[in-house]
Amino acid sequence: MDAEARKRALREQFEPVIDALGFKFTPDAELVDYCLEQEMVLYERHGIPFCPCKGLTGVREEDMRKVCPCIPWHKAHFDKMKRCWCGLFVHKDVTDPDVLMQFPEKEME
Amino acid sequence: MEKVMMYTLSTCPWCRKTKQWFNDRKVPFDYVDYDLASSEEKEKIRERLAKEKLDLSFPIVYIGETCVQGYNPGKYGALLGLS
Repeated sequence: MDAEARKRALREQFEPVIDALGFKFTPDAELVDYCLEQEMVLYERHGIPFCPCKGLTGVREEDMRKVCPCIPWHKAHFDKMKRCWCGLFVHKDVTDPDVLMQFPEKEME
Repeated sequence: MEKVMMYTLSTCPWCRKTKQWFNDRKVPFDYVDYDLASSEEKEKIRERLAKEKLDLSFPIVYIGETCVQGYNPGKYGALLGLS
């Protein structure tokens, strides 16, 4: 399967899951492309499409919280940011993702 | 100017943007790509972040002793006294 086909496959796999959670792919097409490419790198490395912006510890219980789409594990935080950490997914009502800031979970309050 | 140290991931688009922000302003920095680091170095990074109660969400930038998690040009500029 070539790279474009694999990206399409990841998209089709993620779409129903994120839709049910109230998210969509970011309108920033370049970021979608880049993140999916990096997730394929991680898939090659680890056999799992981990989040490209979260580090792994090698501890299964901890790293499972970083498998894309990792929204369910970080719902409150991501809802506050209206995006996931790497920005691949945003809330359905977002039209301009550039205004959405990353901030640490501990700064949520 | 304050010393800048970054922890990043080679796969992270926001880490790439962060490095670009500092390069564009000719602000020198050191960095470690956590995912490409040795096991010992990863352990040290995890210990340092645990003290700050931070998880492994990157980028993480130290400007002097102040830690900024997430791509945040506003904070970088304020901490460095740059517009």
